Amino acid sequence: MPANNGRELTLAQAVREALAEEMRRDSRVFILGEDIAEAGHPFKVLTGLVEEFGAERVLDTPISEAGFTGVAVGAAMTGLRPVVDIMFGDFVTLIMDQMVNQAAKVHYMSGGKWRVPMVLRTTLGATRRSAAQHSQSLHAWFCHIPGLKVVLPSTPYDAKGLLKTAIRDENPVAFFEDKMMYRLKGPVPEEEYTIPLGAADIKREGTDITIVATSSMVQVALGAAKLLEEAAISAEVIDPRTLWPLDEKTLINSARKTSRVIVMDEGYGRYGVAAEIASVISEGAFFDLEAPVKRLGAMHVPIPFSPPLEDATVPTEQSVFEAARAMCG
Amino acid sequence: MAVSVVMPALEMAQETGKLLAWLKKEGDSVKKGEPLVEIETDKVTVEVEAPADGILAALKAWEGAEIPVGQTIAWIVAPGEQPPAESPSAAPAARAMTEQSVRPASVASAAGVAGPAEPSARVSPKAKRVAKELGVDLSRVRGTGPDGTITSEDVEAAAKSQAPAEAAEPAALSSVARLMAQRTTESWTTTPHFFLVREIDATPLLVAREHHGAGMNVKLTHTDLLVALVARVVAKHPKLNASWTGHAIHFHSDVNISLAAAVKDGVVGVVIPQANTATLADIAGQRSELSERARAGRLRPPDVTGGTFTISNLGMYQVDAFSAIITPPQAAVLAVGAITDRIVAVRGQPAVRPMMTLTLSSDHRVVDGAQAAVFLKDLADALGEPGKWLV
Repeated sequence: MPANNGRELTLAQAVREALAEEMRRDSRVFILGEDIAEAGHPFKVLTGLVEEFGAERVLDTPISEAGFTGVAVGAAMTGLRPVVDIMFGDFVTLIMDQMVNQAAKVHYMSGGKWRVPMVLRTTLGATRRSAAQHSQSLHAWFCHIPGLKVVLPSTPYDAKGLLKTAIRDENPVAFFEDKMMYRLKGPVPEEEYTIPLGAADIKREGTDITIVATSSMVQVALGAAKLLEEAAISAEVIDPRTLWPLDEKTLINSARKTSRVIVMDEGYGRYGVAAEIASVISEGAFFDLEAPVKRLGAMHVPIPFSPPLEDATVPTEQSVFEAARAMCG
Repeated sequence: MAVSVVMPALEMAQETGKLLAWLKKEGDSVKKGEPLVEIETDKVTVEVEAPADGILAALKAWEGAEIPVGQTIAWIVAPGEQPPAESPSAAPAARAMTEQSVRPASVASAAGVAGPAEPSARVSPKAKRVAKELGVDLSRVRGTGPDGTITSEDVEAAAKSQAPAEAAEPAALSSVARLMAQRTTESWTTTPHFFLVREIDATPLLVAREHHGAGMNVKLTHTDLLVALVARVVAKHPKLNASWTGHAIHFHSDVNISLAAAVKDGVVGVVIPQANTATLADIAGQRSELSERARAGRLRPPDVTGGTFTISNLGMYQVDAFSAIITPPQAAVLAVGAITDRIVAVRGQPAVRPMMTLTLSSDHRVVDGAQAAVFLKDLADALGEPGKWLV
C-alpha cells in the first residue's frame, strides 16, 4: 500500500474517486444506468460526477436493464469503455443474456477480433431491510461463466484500486459492492495506485485457523477473529478480492499453514462461491487439513423482510466464532 | 448377498488385530476358504479365509493398521452388487461368535497402559500423514480434537512421548512382545495372586513315562503326562477352571489346558482342548504339532484360543521353581520346575529321589487358599499314582 497521509474515504467515495480518475484519464470511459446523473445513485455513490463529466458520459437510462446493458456491450465492442450501473444486484436477472451470451462470448466467437472492455458495477448484501428482491448476493452466477471476471472489494482501498484495474481490463468484469459497506471508512492514499486482479490479500495473519471471506463477510471475519483471539485461537483472515481470477496459491498456502479453514461468502451456501473455494482448498491442502473445510453462506431461503429473520440468514461474528472454536476442538 | 469380512477375535482378551497384508486385491474374485488377508493378532500370525464365494470389495483397512476386533475390514459381494452401508450391530455380533463364552464381561485396563483408541475415533488427513512420517501407530494415539478426532498435534505428542522408549530400544516391539507386556501388566496389577508351593517325588511320573511312552509314534514328555493329569484333577475342581467376570465367577464346562510355549519375541499359550478326556497319545500328538507351529510362527487361531488353565514348564532350563503370572481371564497357572535328584527323608531315612517343585498361582477372587491347597494335594496324589488316572 502506498504511503497514506492519514486520508480516509468511505467505500462509496473510493468508488467515485476511481471512476472520476479513470474518466479523466481516458475519454472513452463513461457510465450508464438508472438514477445515476442528477440523483447521483440511490446510495449516493456517484454524486458530483455528472457535474464534472456531463450527461453524455454519465448517462441516465430508463428502467431497462437488458436494453442499456446491451448498449454497453455494443459500445465496448466498438471502442468505448462503458461502466454499467445496476442499482441492485438482484436485477442482474434481467441482463444475464447480455452478460453471459454476449459479453462473455464475443471475444472468443470473433476469433479475438472484438473485445468487450466493460465493467458491470452492482451491489450485493442483505440486512438492509430491503426484502427478498433487493437483498441477494448473486455474484456466484458470474463466476460460473468462462469469459467473465468477478471482483468483490471489501475495503475502500481495495475498491478504488480494483475498480481502476477493472476499467482498464480488456474483458468484461462484474464488480460487486456490498451496499451495507458504502459508508465503511478506510485509508485511501491520494496518489495513483491500482491493484491487480487475481491477488488475494491477507487481512489479518494467524496460525490456528484460516477464515477465507469475501466482500461483506471480511469485516464479520475480522470481528470473529478478535473474539477468537480472546479464546486463544489465532485466526488468519484472507480476502481473495477477485473470485475470477482466483488466487488459489495464497488460499492453499494459508490452509497448509493453519490446517483448518472456514470459507465465508454472503451468496447462498449451496452451490456457491464458498463451495468452490472449499474445493480448491481441499484439493490443494487435503493432507495438511485437520478437519473438513467449513462453508458459511446465506441460508437457503428467500431473504426475509422481517429484521430478526433477515439477520438470522447470514453469518455473524458469533456464528463464525462458534464454528471456528468447534473446529479447533 | 454381501458377506462381511471382520477382524477376528483369536484370543480371549484381544482388543485389536494388525492387518499385515492383503493376499487378494479389491475386485478379485475369491472362493470360500481361500486365504484372504494375513493378520497378526495377539500372539500369532494367521491367514483369514474368505467367508464366502464372490468379489472382494470395499477394503476398509490398509496394511499395517490396527483394527478393533469385530470391525468389518471388507465385503464379499456378488458380481455387480454394491457393498452395504455399515451396520453398527455387526461388530458385537462378530465378537460374540468368535469368542464363545470364555470372555469375562470386562477386563479392566491396567493403569498407565494406553489402551487402543476408540474404534470410532476419526483421524484427520494431516494426522494420518504425520503419523506415517513419524512412524506413530495411530491405534495408540488418543484424539483430543472435536468428537475425539485424532489431530496432528495428538500424533506429534504421541511421537514425543514415545521417543525415550525408542532411544533405549530402537526396534519397534512386535505385537507378541507388546501384548505380552500389556497383558502381564494388566494381570499383575489387577489380579490378586497368591502362590502355593509343593514338592513332588517324580519317580512315579518317570515310570509312567517309560510305561506309556513305549510304542507311541510321538515321543512322550513329562509335560504331556502333566497335561493329562492336571486336566483330570482340574476337572474335579471347578474353581480352578473358572474366570472372574468383574462381579461373579464364571465356570467353564471344558478343561482346555494352555501350555506356555516360547516363541521369537515372547510367550504364547498353545491350547490342548478337553485335555481331561484326551488320551495321552492325543495330547502328545497335539503338543508336538503345536510346538512345531509355534516355532515356525504359523499358529492358527484355534491353537491359541479358549485355554482355561495354564501349565508353564521351565524344567528343561533347569529352573528349580518359579512363580508364574496368571493369564487373564484364567484363574490359575501351574509353574513346573526341573526334575532333579535330591536327598529327601523317606520313612525316616535320607534317600535320593527325583524331585520336582510345583508352584500354583491362583486368582484370589475366584479361589481361596484352602481350595487351591486341596487341588494341589489331589494333583500330588495323581502324580503319585498316574496309572489310576490314565486308564
